[in-house]
Amino acid sequence: MFDPYYLQQLAIGLSQGVIYALMAIGFTLIFGVLNVVNFAHGEIYTLGAFVGLLVITALAPPLLVVVLVVAAVGAAFGVGLERIAFKPFRRFSDEASLKSRAMRESTLMSSLAVSIVAREGLELAFGSQMQTLPFDQLINKPIALGPITIVTGDVIIFAVAAVMLIGLQWLLTRTRVGLAIRAVSANPLGAKYVGIDTDRTIILTFAIGSMMGAAAGVLVGLYYGAIFPAMGFVPGIKAFVAMVMGGLSSIPGAVICALLLGLSEGLATTFISSNWADMVAYGFLIVTLIFFPQGLFGAGRERV
Amino acid sequence: MNLLEVRGVTVTMGVQEILHGVDLDVPANGIVAVLGSNGVGKTTLMRTISGVYRAKSGTIRLAGEDITGLKSHAIVARGLSQAPEGRQIFAPMSVRENLVIGGGRHGLAELDRVLALFPKLGERMGQIAGSLSGGEQQMLCIARALMAKPKILLLDEPSLGLAPKLVKTIFDLVAAIRAEGISILIVEQNARAALRIADRAAVMEGGRIGLEGPAATIAEDPRVVEAYLGGHGTAA
Repeated sequence: MFDPYYLQQLAIGLSQGVIYALMAIGFTLIFGVLNVVNFAHGEIYTLGAFVGLLVITALAPPLLVVVLVVAAVGAAFGVGLERIAFKPFRRFSDEASLKSRAMRESTLMSSLAVSIVAREGLELAFGSQMQTLPFDQLINKPIALGPITIVTGDVIIFAVAAVMLIGLQWLLTRTRVGLAIRAVSANPLGAKYVGIDTDRTIILTFAIGSMMGAAAGVLVGLYYGAIFPAMGFVPGIKAFVAMVMGGLSSIPGAVICALLLGLSEGLATTFISSNWADMVAYGFLIVTLIFFPQGLFGAGRERV
Repeated sequence: MNLLEVRGVTVTMGVQEILHGVDLDVPANGIVAVLGSNGVGKTTLMRTISGVYRAKSGTIRLAGEDITGLKSHAIVARGLSQAPEGRQIFAPMSVRENLVIGGGRHGLAELDRVLALFPKLGERMGQIAGSLSGGEQQMLCIARALMAKPKILLLDEPSLGLAPKLVKTIFDLVAAIRAEGISILIVEQNARAALRIADRAAVMEGGRIGLEGPAATIAEDPRVVEAYLGGHGTAA
């Protein structure tokens, strides 16, 4: 009565959703602290994939090493991004200007500018066509699971996402650094009065968020076997939609919505052409904005 | 010796000068009250001492060390904490988390001492700070500042918006905090209550200190009585 085909589609959708979730975590973390949308997050993901390509072609280390190196480089990119696109606009330190509209709009533009420069730079260096990753390094060995088939990458990506999410929750609730991040997010001026180095905390937030974005990029590259300079755009949009649906600053909310988004897209391709599957995300975004202006998990927060 | 010395501090915001050379001393283990109406620069002075604003000129010394221009976290680390105007607590976080953050590198080392002053907070450790009443939030704000083990505590309008009974509680607490050996610089609209607990007082007018002296003398100054204590009658 239940066609295994649907289960297969659900499995594909779930792994897609996990990828969106990996992106959405970093996005939401940065938004939560600075109240700004980091448009360059998609390019961090792309850069992560390309750094992975370079590392693999040069040294062909084990997967764990690749992911760790990419995460470290991603953190460095995050720090650089913060210095170039965000710090110069943070001239005043009271909360009114830290979370002001002017701050939000100027960093929206500056992060968009950095993302364009990064993408074009990659195109100049590597060309805009697909780059293939060495076949033996890919994470797409099939695993039969009853009537459906998944690949090793599904398991690996799911595991990495779970570790990151749990690790992040631990960091944010149990460590001094994590409490500082939440304190700056809740009240940047109050954070100064209790002796938190707000600048350092913001840099750290970018490093953590970008680390996750870059790791997601290399995993997805190894999952599909091909990477290209514009690859970060669509997942970036999906992560943004997940963040908005989740209520903007709720990390668990964003993760749940990212999974929902992936699953819905997976199911939708059963009924409509896969070219139209992106419509699902945009449809969700519009429905959220109209009917749940505070997001699905964003109780008590300002309107999206 | 003075624990805190402010000398000739000027602060500008854009093209406007807000403080025009403020001098102020807080002796070790003393309470100094700064009075003045809205907009004379009291909060600007407090923010500048804590390193949230930059002084354009002048010096601020803490226990003899020049702290002018240091960042706020470096100033807290040297033993100057502030319970700022508007409380600025971390509303979405629990009372315990607010106190842990306040403790900084000391963590919860001061918890017992602080909870002895604020027993009510001890009953609400797991509660979200934003759900506390106004008075409890003010207590949390002061308790959070004390967690950092300060030598001097700055209080900016601690009684603002509180019921009269709570105002008395807060001022009794301020006296109790001083009894623990912590110096206090307090900015207050409620001049009568502030002068009652203070050793010295300064009156700010238009970005400078107009009058300064022992609290009892200031409380009897006819200008202060007229402007801040509601005309005739005794101050204390």
